[in-house]
Amino acid sequence: MGGVEDDEPASKRMKLSSEALIHLSNGSTVKESIVGSSRDLMARPLQSDGGEEVVGSKGVIKKVEFVRIIAKALYSLGYIRSGAHLEEESGIALHSSIINVFMRQVLEGDWDESVATLHNIGLTDEMIIKSASFLILEQKFFEFLDEEKVMDALKTLRTEISPLCINHGRVRELSLSIVSPSHCFTVRSPKQNTSRARSRTKLLEELQKLLPPTVMVPERRLEHLVEQALGLQRDACMFHNSLDEEISLFADHQCARDQIPSYALQVDANGISLKHKLSGHQKPVSSVSWSPDDHQLLTCGVEEVVRRWDASSGECLSVYEKAGLGMVSCGWSPDGKWIFSGVNDKSISLWELDGRELECWKGQHTLKISDLEITSDGKQIISICRETAILLLDREAKVERFIEEDQTITSFSLSRDNRFLLVNLLNQEIHLWSIEDDLKLVSKYRGHKRTRFIIRSCFGGLEQAFVASGSEDSLVYIWHRGTGELIEALPGHSGAVNCVSWNPTNPHMLASASDDRTIRIWGLNNLSAKQKDTHGNGIHYCNGGT
Amino acid sequence: MGRLFVVNLEGKVYSCKHCKTHLGLCEDIVSKSFHCRHGKAYLFSKVVNVTTGEKEDRLMMTGLHTVADIFCVGCGSIVGWKYEMAHEKSQKYKEGKSVLERFKVSGPDGSNYWISHGRHVGGSDADDV
Repeated sequence: MGGVEDDEPASKRMKLSSEALIHLSNGSTVKESIVGSSRDLMARPLQSDGGEEVVGSKGVIKKVEFVRIIAKALYSLGYIRSGAHLEEESGIALHSSIINVFMRQVLEGDWDESVATLHNIGLTDEMIIKSASFLILEQKFFEFLDEEKVMDALKTLRTEISPLCINHGRVRELSLSIVSPSHCFTVRSPKQNTSRARSRTKLLEELQKLLPPTVMVPERRLEHLVEQALGLQRDACMFHNSLDEEISLFADHQCARDQIPSYALQVDANGISLKHKLSGHQKPVSSVSWSPDDHQLLTCGVEEVVRRWDASSGECLSVYEKAGLGMVSCGWSPDGKWIFSGVNDKSISLWELDGRELECWKGQHTLKISDLEITSDGKQIISICRETAILLLDREAKVERFIEEDQTITSFSLSRDNRFLLVNLLNQEIHLWSIEDDLKLVSKYRGHKRTRFIIRSCFGGLEQAFVASGSEDSLVYIWHRGTGELIEALPGHSGAVNCVSWNPTNPHMLASASDDRTIRIWGLNNLSAKQKDTHGNGIHYCNGGT
Repeated sequence: MGRLFVVNLEGKVYSCKHCKTHLGLCEDIVSKSFHCRHGKAYLFSKVVNVTTGEKEDRLMMTGLHTVADIFCVGCGSIVGWKYEMAHEKSQKYKEGKSVLERFKVSGPDGSNYWISHGRHVGGSDADDV
């Protein structure tokens, strides 16, 4: 960085006009008071050797800025000579000479000189000058303390730092570190802005963040711009569904469609067989839920009881019921230690595994037809509490938030990272809500059909970049979550597709369940296409009869 | 069959005669003086759990209307019709509202309505006085 000698022969540089005014991109101006000589040089703005002011086909890249960040990148990469050569050949200096002087002074510890130079740079914002001075003097202060020159440090604090009249809290901390050396050690802790033992290079980085970017070009600016462009390409790639897709700088990134599961896979008949028939429910089973450790199942009958089963033995371990009432939904706590269920009197109950009721939220918390979910940190319970509203109940903080819709809500699905909720509506729309901080409607997805049944949708694919849904027209619909575009409508089922489930660990596999009494597994094309079997009207939820 | 999505109403509910699916609330009745081929019919401002058929123009007792038949989501039986558009200004108040045939629904007290024989009702529709 820096290190460019400004003792270059004047012949290599151009003569200056008496006043070079540079307009910074942030609107403020840095006025260089140049006294006609060719000594003080500035990155010449627009009166160059007749060359263009902008580069690129769109005319938005200023040539001077472009060359400066390239020079900065060369220096960062360690190509000092190349960087210097670029500055010389282009006639565009990375930093003005005064900045170079300033940087050298800081690195060499010429504190007083550097503060004086600071005032000469021509910054218009007083606060920046003061803050930068503060940082430099603070370094001076700490270096005195390091060398045990306590009186010098005290003098700096009193006569140079305090008069700046900013950052009083920090001044107090500094005075404390004179008095109590042990405090000095905590001040010296590896926390960002309290570390004293930082190097002068670090100080320079801090200063660079304070000063306007056109005065001192920020570190790694070119790398940041390139990463930003790659990020945008990746986000715009609608079919992006594989980790090993490398993004090259040589061509814009665009995946082919072939990463989206769209072919029905052949499932080995020996691989799937009936293990247990869990009998005991008197009413149709409306939901099924695996325990977090995958060893147990929780099932709920329609307005009946909730049963807990051992998956390997098929034995019913517990029955959860409430006198005179029926359960309508069920779920596990993320630690597997308790379960919760919706009751048909609109309340939600929490139970220990052994059957003891832990908590009960009475009032309008859930509906008979409602889904019930819990976030993976166990904090929020989510359910449909009114025809057009979803309740997000924070168990600990006892705070209730509501998602309000205009239409009747039929079902919803929570994303794995707890940040989004997919809400299915009566009018055949799927709404994506952000539920992290403020509740916000993010996207809408359309195209599928729903008139009579509960149709479920889910997130899926790499980083949950896709939304998939069942539909009453027997197709499986897949949209790109970010853009809302419909990517696929997969034919194959011969009846309404009730729900879909995207494999959480394999972004290339999707399962769908249909009224045609089959479950289809969808994958990529490199496997033979024929379909499988078993009965069922739902994956997570067994809808309808036994 | 998949799992039906049904809205549950509270209060005095009129439900489908065959499958008991809730269709409308007593308090949403706008007029009880409508008629259909099977006798009495009520005009509701809001009905639930119905699917809508194709729109068509029908000449009714009070004029030309664009209507669509409505069917119970539970059993699929026809329960009435919905006014999509009224061609005459005085009939505009019906737009968006639905008629449930009294013969097809059970009342809040579970009562049913039987077609009285011998009395021939002229046609469908009626005015509010």
